[in-house]
Amino acid sequence: MTDSPSAAPPGASAPTEVAADYFDGRSARAHAVRVRVAGDDLVITGDDIHRSEPLASLRWPERTRHGARLLHLSEGASLHCRDSLEWDTWSAAAAGRRDSIVVRAQQRWKWVMVSTLVLLAMVFVSYKHVLPLAARGVVALMPASADEALGEAALSSIDGSGLMKPTALGADKQRAVRTAFAQAVARLPAEGVPRYRLEFRKSTIGPNAFALPGGPIVLTDELYDRVDGDPAILIGVLGHELGHLRHRHGMRMLVQASVLSAAAGALYGDFSTLFSQIPVLLGQASYSRGFEHEADVDSVRLMKASGISPAVMARFFVQVRQPKPGDKSASAPQLPPMPIALASHPADQERIEYFEHEAGER
Amino acid sequence: MDTITQEWKPTVAPSDGVPLSERPLKIQFTGSGSEYFRIWIVNLLLSIVTLSLYHPWAKVRRLRYFYGNTLVDGHALDFHGNPLKMLRGYLLVGLLVACYSVAGRFSPTAAVVAVVIFAVVFPALLRASMQFRLANTSWRGLRFRFSGSLAGAYRAMLPLFIPTLLFAIMGLGITDPRVPPIWYLKTMGLIFLVALVLAPLVWWNFKRYQHDHYGLGQWQTKLTIGPGSMYGLTLKVFGVMLLSGVAVFVLAAILAAIVFVSMGMASGFNKEALSQNQGMMTVVFGLIGLAVYFFALIVPVPYAMSRTQNLIWPNTRCDELRFDSQLRFGPLTWLTVKNWLLMVLTLGLYFPFAKVSFYRMRVESVTPQLSGDIDRLQAQAAAAGDASGDAAGDFFGIDIGL
Repeated sequence: MTDSPSAAPPGASAPTEVAADYFDGRSARAHAVRVRVAGDDLVITGDDIHRSEPLASLRWPERTRHGARLLHLSEGASLHCRDSLEWDTWSAAAAGRRDSIVVRAQQRWKWVMVSTLVLLAMVFVSYKHVLPLAARGVVALMPASADEALGEAALSSIDGSGLMKPTALGADKQRAVRTAFAQAVARLPAEGVPRYRLEFRKSTIGPNAFALPGGPIVLTDELYDRVDGDPAILIGVLGHELGHLRHRHGMRMLVQASVLSAAAGALYGDFSTLFSQIPVLLGQASYSRGFEHEADVDSVRLMKASGISPAVMARFFVQVRQPKPGDKSASAPQLPPMPIALASHPADQERIEYFEHEAGER
Repeated sequence: MDTITQEWKPTVAPSDGVPLSERPLKIQFTGSGSEYFRIWIVNLLLSIVTLSLYHPWAKVRRLRYFYGNTLVDGHALDFHGNPLKMLRGYLLVGLLVACYSVAGRFSPTAAVVAVVIFAVVFPALLRASMQFRLANTSWRGLRFRFSGSLAGAYRAMLPLFIPTLLFAIMGLGITDPRVPPIWYLKTMGLIFLVALVLAPLVWWNFKRYQHDHYGLGQWQTKLTIGPGSMYGLTLKVFGVMLLSGVAVFVLAAILAAIVFVSMGMASGFNKEALSQNQGMMTVVFGLIGLAVYFFALIVPVPYAMSRTQNLIWPNTRCDELRFDSQLRFGPLTWLTVKNWLLMVLTLGLYFPFAKVSFYRMRVESVTPQLSGDIDRLQAQAAAAGDASGDAAGDFFGIDIGL
């Protein structure tokens, strides 16, 4: 059969036939056949096989560089061609096959590059803008009672963990902080003030202050001591935490983390669940930097309303970094500044500059 | 071309009744990472643009690429799934999983209800999924099948849910989860221990359900090992987990000591200078700790995977077919570590390459050995009972992919 068209040298006239294996779908036996197009039909001929199939009813295999071509026929029969190049040349010439737009995109590196770039841009935009916006929307739909339930549960689990102990601050000192803060908050427009509740705790992890969803703001004795109970600084710090509450950062973080985790799991869970959680960690760190800045803006607003210069917060950062002599917690190892992408608080310097800038503008 | 050597082999006609010599059906994977990358990235883009509704189409394209490049004895596998039907299954399963993951956050009672519903639905779902996947996979024009019964699915999978169910029910009796009563802790410990001891048995029970019910033509596989081999395997895997944990820990300790001493020498063991380096030290030790965690978690996985495959497949057989499986631990571990490193370095863009290389190593390590005549393999008329199950699987198009 040396005169068969497909045996013609490459570059000659387009092939009208292609060699393939035919399976009838009932037996595993392969029949060697030749396939050609006659009118609107696909005609398959072999030693004991003669059948034709309307072209319109066929679901053609997609073109790939590697892999066999398998064409499904009616009644479970199929054609298998191992020489994919020969098949593709024939199906384009004889049957007028054109690749779908998706296949064309997959087969050209140029389009693959474009897809990659579009994809990266979309991931970036949705990570930077769409997801935070969506989380804000979702949180807006959630009742405030959800925040409160979550916050109270978190506070009692912190108390139960031994990280926090009952405060050792005297009642007069506590009252002074409460009064100063309440007076400062009272100068803000009423609609911009979230529900809050001040909690004092003695901490085993050093000077700190944090807000929990739904209202609890925890101030540690160590922080109070470090700033000598300076009301200006404490108003700045607590104003920052009040900002977290006003923006419902805790809940938004939770929603964003869940969505990120689901997306990363869908993408890479197939490879490793451990790997798929890496982007979630990095993502949370970076979101948290955005939240810190939003809270700083609120802190400045509160300080300005009370006539306090935001510069005290800049001084506070320096003060926190240089522990008081004789302070026990000073000997605890201090983490060095981390690269910005990993840092969950914006680099201190950046925040100091923001407060100083705000102080200058006053 | 080794056609000459093939002709040299004496072939015995099947009608003679003489046992046939075995012939390996070599499995070869011809796909490439760079080509799959192109398919993957376009699929991914379309999935994101369509809010994941494109997922079934992407899956069909992916499976057709992997199957079309998996040549068994020179003939490719094929996938016949209809994406539109698979969309229905995808949405259904998605809804179920979403309900399940949300329910636990509301109340303990909701959690119990969710576990019960999931336990009731999941075995049927997984069976439908296996039926769908196999019935839509073909080789040499014949469709595979999964013939496990619905009752068998519950027998195989309900034991997997018992510990979770017990925990959820016990959670109902707890008023304050922060201070659980002592009976709660004791019962929980007991359940955990019993579950641990029974885990290989339960796992074997599940594997048997799968491997007893694969079929193609007249072929119907059977798992020929008992639970004892599963216990042996589990013990070995635990041993390797322990050993790799200890080995990596010792290595990390040595590394940490070297870092500590060299930093000490650099500062002349001056206390003042050392304390200034404290931050640096914290970072270094943190990184070492992370490496320990990473390797202790990653290394046992290829071990468990290779030993499981090499245990299960050679013991899955039917009259005319058996399987050799030689998935080697060393190369698989190296591949796993390499894939991990490149995944991290490329921020996940290496994923399709990792997937292709991993699939190639796993699938090419298996060699079916045929002792019958392939041409006599015939499609079987579906029994009346099977047809409804097939239809259900096909109707929902559920493809979980276990």
